[in-house]
Amino acid sequence: MDTARADALSARNRIAAGAWLAHRAESFRHLPPPAAEVWLGESEPQQPGNCDASPLAGAGWTLHPLGQTPQGRVDARWLDAADPAQRAELFAGLPPPGDEDAAPFAWAHRALVRQGLRLRIGSAQEARGGGRDETVWLQLRHQPRAEVEAPMLVIDLQPGAQVVLIETHEREATPATTCQRALVQNLHVHLRLGTGATLRHLRVVAPGAQDRVAHHVHARLDRSAVYHQGLLASGCGYHLQRSAIELPGAHARARTAGVLLAHASALEQQVRITHGAAHTSSAVDALALGSGSARIVVNTHNRIDPGADEADVRQRLSGIPTGGQPRLVLRPHLEIHHDRVQAAHGATWGAMPEDALFYAAQRGLGEREARALIIEGMARAALARSLDTPELMALLDVDGWLARTVARHLSSPIEPDPPGACHA
Amino acid sequence: MTANAPLLSLRDLRVDIGERNVLKSVTLDVPAGALLVLMGANGSGKSTLGLTLAGHPRYRVTGGQARFGGQDLLAMDPQQRARAGLFLSFQAPPDIPGVKNNLFIRTALNAVREARGEGALDAFDFLGSARAAATRLGLPEAMLARPVNDGFSGGERKRNELLQLALLQPRLAVLDEIDSGMDIDGVRAVVELVKDLRTRGTAFVVVSHYLQLIESLAPDDVLKLDQGCIAETGGLALARDIARTGFAQAHAQAPEPAEV
Repeated sequence: MDTARADALSARNRIAAGAWLAHRAESFRHLPPPAAEVWLGESEPQQPGNCDASPLAGAGWTLHPLGQTPQGRVDARWLDAADPAQRAELFAGLPPPGDEDAAPFAWAHRALVRQGLRLRIGSAQEARGGGRDETVWLQLRHQPRAEVEAPMLVIDLQPGAQVVLIETHEREATPATTCQRALVQNLHVHLRLGTGATLRHLRVVAPGAQDRVAHHVHARLDRSAVYHQGLLASGCGYHLQRSAIELPGAHARARTAGVLLAHASALEQQVRITHGAAHTSSAVDALALGSGSARIVVNTHNRIDPGADEADVRQRLSGIPTGGQPRLVLRPHLEIHHDRVQAAHGATWGAMPEDALFYAAQRGLGEREARALIIEGMARAALARSLDTPELMALLDVDGWLARTVARHLSSPIEPDPPGACHA
Repeated sequence: MTANAPLLSLRDLRVDIGERNVLKSVTLDVPAGALLVLMGANGSGKSTLGLTLAGHPRYRVTGGQARFGGQDLLAMDPQQRARAGLFLSFQAPPDIPGVKNNLFIRTALNAVREARGEGALDAFDFLGSARAAATRLGLPEAMLARPVNDGFSGGERKRNELLQLALLQPRLAVLDEIDSGMDIDGVRAVVELVKDLRTRGTAFVVVSHYLQLIESLAPDDVLKLDQGCIAETGGLALARDIARTGFAQAHAQAPEPAEV
């Protein structure tokens, strides 16, 4: 047996030997994920009985430079995880799954991964031996290659590199009467930012209604590195968006803003940030917009390690039912092991702003149009806290993504607002 | 609607907010192109009247009639009223975070234009007319690209109301204390815009306590609202009386309003 197969088999055995996470993990208590067999491709596919849609056979990762991206700064390698040498290259330098709550997902990923993309992005100084830095603009699209898959992405930003990345996972919206192959996807993204590197990262994830999706972003920031993530995600059969961000370098800064929309579906965002050095800062914003019988969970956990002097942590979580009886669970956590730090967290539940809705109606907007405009506005304001310039928002076509995502969200009949359907 | 019928006709309109009866009986007519000034002490029901006409769901009509352009106003949704040409300038316009002002106003304008059977304006044409109107009203052009009223001063919010009024060109505009928070240039902009729109046939109901503005507007009628009823009707002399003696004094001298 070659080392690639041995590694995959070992990961599979690891899961078989231990309990799957739903039974023991606090993080997954409110929205337990499907069983291990689902993620390993060992369960019966969840397809409609008479669905004759073509099997999924997308291109996987495709890379698209945007605008005036400087030449020669991006080294991209598509690697076959079944080939021992390429698998070794794909996983090179990455830590093995630890013992944290979501580790079983990582083992399941190692057992199933078939292909991965590895990007190395250099700085202008590195390319030219000095001079003014230039930002690299990239778009990464992922189209599923199989009904059950474990795609992988590794991005190494060299010291000083400045990168804007838009990463999209968008299933085609199909009419309710059309069958669509359901997808099971366990994606792992590893981001490693060298000293002084900056990554502004917009992630758009719009799965099909029956899909079961778990995305894990692992980011590690060296000294003075900056990572900003904007997430626009919509619900499906099961949907987990988890970001684990480590700040071991002094003065490293991380900021995430998530906009989560679900109608009669499930969606969870987990953000875990570890402050391992002095003068690190992080801010987490999340806006959950649920309707119908949606279940949305936002679970944030910021840890400040001993010695992380002057660390600064902010968490702001908001939940707004936009119709029906959704269940919105907001869970901010702080774990502080050092005295001289600043930390603030809050969770608020609200209603759609009635005064703004009436104002829009008084100007002639129909109810659906007014709701769409106001929801888009709230989402845009939330994302703007991470993607911090109007120019960046425009270049990433945030308005276009928002309009499409909100239109999908509101495509179901409007249900009356509940008097209060939120739970801490 | 017959040729001589008023644009807005209210008969014995009664309105509750929650358990409280605010408008006890309001009867008035507003002919097309006319300008009425509505005065009254705090709590007399002026803003209630405006919000009721606009169809605010918290303001419950318990009796009476309201016809607008020959149609039953009370049977219409708020957006139908707006599309039929009824505009309310809010006393405290709300902010709408994340929604760009120019997008909001263009969406509203196109909804109204569609109801009038006119074609939608594209972003380019809209921006041209919006910038010109903003300049006339003293609203910095940058306000068009900012979220609706988000971070605007009181005066900027009111100018933003005027901008929407100028672009929407309604048949009837209810201006609820449009002058509050405005500087002298803003008040002048109100007067000029109202005069301009009146030449195009827009009728106005202006709620104000500010005599200089009222005189500048040259109203057709001045109405005094007291305890939910139209207590007195007159011309500029009534406005000057109220300005001189105050509502308490005027109330003491006025006959009891007739309850219906």
